[in-house]
Amino acid sequence: MPPSWLIWLVGGVVLVAAGVASTLLPRLRARDLRRRTAWSTARAAIDSASVSRDACQDQVAEAEQLLARAESIAADRGGAGAADEAAALAERADRLWREARRG
Amino acid sequence: MRWSLLGAAVVTLVVFLLAQRTQGIDVSYGRSPSPSDAGQQSDEDAESDETGARGESSLPSVEEMTAMVAADPVVRLPGAVARWDERDVAEAIGDADIRIIVAPPGLDEDERSQVREVENATIAIFGTKITGDGYVVVADRLSGWRTQFGTADVTGRLITLITEVAEREEPEPETTPEFRWREPSGAELDTVAADLRADGVHVADGATLERVPERPSETAFPDEDALYVALPTQDIGEPIARYGPALTRLFPDRPVVVLYGSWIEYDGPNATDFAELVSTMFYSRFDERLSVDGYPQANVLGVWLNHVTDVRYAGLFDRPLPYEPPDPLTVTLPALPWLFAACVVGFVVLSLRPLSRHNTARTPGPRARLAGLTALAIEVSGLTDERSDPALTRGIGKLDAARDALDSDLPARQVRALLDDAESELDDTARLLGRTDYRPRNYLEGGLG
Repeated sequence: MPPSWLIWLVGGVVLVAAGVASTLLPRLRARDLRRRTAWSTARAAIDSASVSRDACQDQVAEAEQLLARAESIAADRGGAGAADEAAALAERADRLWREARRG
Repeated sequence: MRWSLLGAAVVTLVVFLLAQRTQGIDVSYGRSPSPSDAGQQSDEDAESDETGARGESSLPSVEEMTAMVAADPVVRLPGAVARWDERDVAEAIGDADIRIIVAPPGLDEDERSQVREVENATIAIFGTKITGDGYVVVADRLSGWRTQFGTADVTGRLITLITEVAEREEPEPETTPEFRWREPSGAELDTVAADLRADGVHVADGATLERVPERPSETAFPDEDALYVALPTQDIGEPIARYGPALTRLFPDRPVVVLYGSWIEYDGPNATDFAELVSTMFYSRFDERLSVDGYPQANVLGVWLNHVTDVRYAGLFDRPLPYEPPDPLTVTLPALPWLFAACVVGFVVLSLRPLSRHNTARTPGPRARLAGLTALAIEVSGLTDERSDPALTRGIGKLDAARDALDSDLPARQVRALLDDAESELDDTARLLGRTDYRPRNYLEGGLG
């Protein structure tokens, strides 16, 4: 039988480790999920915007600019905030191109 | 569940730590509950009440005492208790110049040395302790102690010392037997028995037993309430009424304790087993103190009862030891670390399970919708023209994104948002084509078939 203080020590360490893990892990996971979600939205928006651009005969300088910024942000990668920003830029560009095409 | 386990672990830990603080190593078997276990404690017990017993008599000065001794061969200071057979002692002294000073019991050390400074006194008696010429004469058997403490009779020992001091070779003269018993008279016995029937205690005039020490009495005689008879120190030269056997006949199976001064007689159950033993232990140990200090009978009785308790717990009564229930804390203490470990393991397992469980609950809804929309996009793709192409392409892009999202376990909300986008694009496509049957709502309602 191991000395009982060893059990107390190991038990205490395990408890603390479990406490840290159980608070930290879900938080990290949630952050990662939110980042990936945001990038999923952003990429979809950029794709849509590029399709709209290809479909539009006229040049829309402002939209080009917005999309270029969105793409450069996307190229840098980054957190959920950057992704949200890129998505917003791409959506604005998309809207501009669609309006231009509708005439 | 896991929080209750954590709580249990913490409680275990706290209990363990508290137990560490309070638990000492304490191994005992049949511990006697008498306080005299602790060695001097009974001495201190006796001492604590002793002040009341000390004579208030103030000693005369050394010069006065010396003058008194010079004038009279036997000087009894006020409060002196020791007595002897004058005739026998006078005979023993003969023509030797032996002067005796008798001091009362209960003198403190200073007062005793004051008496010792009286140079012309050959023998000094403190209480019933006899000293002289560098000698101390003590009783060494029960009969001697009985005489000394029951009657304050010091004749025998005094004669021994006189013979020694006078440096006489001849054998000690015959003395009358010091302690003689007689049967108590009917009237005496009736008085005592009436009191005992009333409250179990008889205190005669002149006895100093104010109260029977309750706890020692209970532990010494747990089965039957003991009867107590307290008598004052007896006169010498007369036979002494022996109440014990007579009372035992009146109260069979009750312990009977009779005090003659500081001498304690026991009769009743198990008398032969322990009475002599306890008396020997008691008087050999406290001989000196009882001789010199005049304790009230209650103190003497209390210490004696503690000795009886000790003997009882030493197993001489041949009775099973009292049952002591095991302390639950002591019993569980060795199991506590394991209990704690089990709680920790349970807590950790229950905490990790939801973490390790993969979010693989694949709801069929989004997948079916994705499949339906994909099928619609493929069907429509053959029909599109230049106007509706961008919407279709964007829709397909959204569908791709939704599939990625599904595959990488993004939340259902995100998938739904992407599918909603795709649906609205495909809806645009169908509107631009003018084919309402390809509008997603209508198309999906009909099913894939």
